[in-house]
Amino acid sequence: MDRYITRIAILLLLMVPTVVWALDHDNLDPNRPIAIEDAYVVPKGEIGVEGGILFSDRKQGRSRFVFQPQLIIGAFDNTQLELSSDVQTDPRSVVGDDKSGNLTVGALYNVNTETLSLPAFAARVQLGLPTGVSAKGVDTALTGVMTRSYGRWRTHVNVGYSFLGSPQGQERSGTYRVVAAVSYPLGYPTSFNDTIIANIFTRQSDLVGQRNPTGVGIGLRHQVSSRVVVDAGLGSEFIGPADRSVFFSTVGLSVGF
Amino acid sequence: MRIRQLLALFCVTILIAGVTGACTQFEQRDKRFYYRALWNFALRENLRELDIEFNGVDFGHSHLYENLLLTGAQNVPVIEERARKETLRFIDSRPVLNPNEEAIAPTYMKLAWKAQNTFDEAHALHRATYDIYVSDLADRQAAIRKVLAFYQDSEYAITAKRLDHQRLDTFPYSKSFRRKFPLFNATIWSYHYLQVVVYDVLAASPDLLSKQKAVAPILRTYHAYLDQPPVEWTFMPMTEELSPKFAAEFPEIANVFNNLHMMHDNISDILTTDLLSTWEEKRKKIYRVTQAYYWASADATNPFIVGDGQPHHSGSTPAMKSGAPGGHSGH
Repeated sequence: MDRYITRIAILLLLMVPTVVWALDHDNLDPNRPIAIEDAYVVPKGEIGVEGGILFSDRKQGRSRFVFQPQLIIGAFDNTQLELSSDVQTDPRSVVGDDKSGNLTVGALYNVNTETLSLPAFAARVQLGLPTGVSAKGVDTALTGVMTRSYGRWRTHVNVGYSFLGSPQGQERSGTYRVVAAVSYPLGYPTSFNDTIIANIFTRQSDLVGQRNPTGVGIGLRHQVSSRVVVDAGLGSEFIGPADRSVFFSTVGLSVGF
Repeated sequence: MRIRQLLALFCVTILIAGVTGACTQFEQRDKRFYYRALWNFALRENLRELDIEFNGVDFGHSHLYENLLLTGAQNVPVIEERARKETLRFIDSRPVLNPNEEAIAPTYMKLAWKAQNTFDEAHALHRATYDIYVSDLADRQAAIRKVLAFYQDSEYAITAKRLDHQRLDTFPYSKSFRRKFPLFNATIWSYHYLQVVVYDVLAASPDLLSKQKAVAPILRTYHAYLDQPPVEWTFMPMTEELSPKFAAEFPEIANVFNNLHMMHDNISDILTTDLLSTWEEKRKKIYRVTQAYYWASADATNPFIVGDGQPHHSGSTPAMKSGAPGGHSGH
């Protein structure tokens, strides 16, 4: 019953016109609103502040809320620097490289823009500093990003690998993840304020001997003003370990200035 | 296992780098944020009726280029009727935000990104100057100098020198767009009219209310052009003819805008002409024109730069004689 009430509460939360300050609704950033990013960085000189709240209803264990603040800076040509954190409820139950309160610094470099014969590629490097609950060692993550468009449809692939600096207990020392997604600008040719995104993902489980959490998500990014984008998304991990998210939803805001 | 995964990751990285490096179409994106200042979005916030029109203008070029490319410029009704009327519908929708041009013209953006980025930066200069002209700034000249310096700091900056537009309109492919699609060409020139005619009017209006009143007749004239495209014009509107005080005060910016609009015409012609039959030929020609004749980085070798005092177009724009662009009641 509690779980049912919680889900209803989250769905109602999704209906509230929460503001997620996004920079450009067509420029996809991780977790805004779902786990995919495109190969493009914010323009040089831009500063973006993003934040969102994720609700995760797990098959076993307590449901979680995760606050995901992020700072993005277009620091150099074709390069953005990032500072982010995940702050979670029930932090001691978190395993893997996303410990609650960890501070993550990262850089995304856009290798090239898409041309008629070549997709856009990008590479990301992230360091997870052990500032969070039960965190030990510096985690490292490398991700390759590809974006290829077909007409107005854009397809995206993210392939990454995370190295845990100091795995604890049954934690794996490293995990891979693969995400594929499509995005589409809604409203052509009379409106250009919304982008819909759908993804499918799988990632190696955080603990040895468990199945890959695998699932799907769908989200929407909406430009509300010149500087602000709001987003919302939901999805499910339909395969995976017992503590997987059978339902997750998120709302967020991105502001560029 | 970990070693194998590292090796796999390394191999994938090398593969991507190899493919990327080997590809002749490798291009960097090089997007820049606009000059951050207190006047950002002043037009959007204070003179919404004009900002909405510029948002509509943003749609037009990209939509045209995409349609020219996808149709091979072979289907006149598709361009003159369907694409042009879609543009007019978008303008009539009164968009409060500028549209995402990559969603409008995904194919063209992949064909000629460097040219598009050149447009984007020049359009950002347009926007910055509108914001400054609408803002209540004590020293407008200083603000304009700052945004011009910021613009010229980009490798994508269009030259601020006077170019010989008459000669830039005499390539083998020149005028092919306006001859084949006169209605859409006149619509494009109507956008360019609006983009440059407002400066002197805004400058002459001391406060926001008077600026709002001053642009009203300009917008009526502009919409009359959209309803009945001025096909009698034989040359694009020029900044110094429509906003002579602005052009005299900021000749470098006036040159950038004139050159920007001429570059638009050149690319329309390249996308239309049958002399360049493949997308690759068109892409190469667009880049040749952009980089050799329009980018400021080519000033030392640009054969189209003319000296001060010399004419930079034929001066025979019938529209000027008929009083159309320069003779509206907003002046």
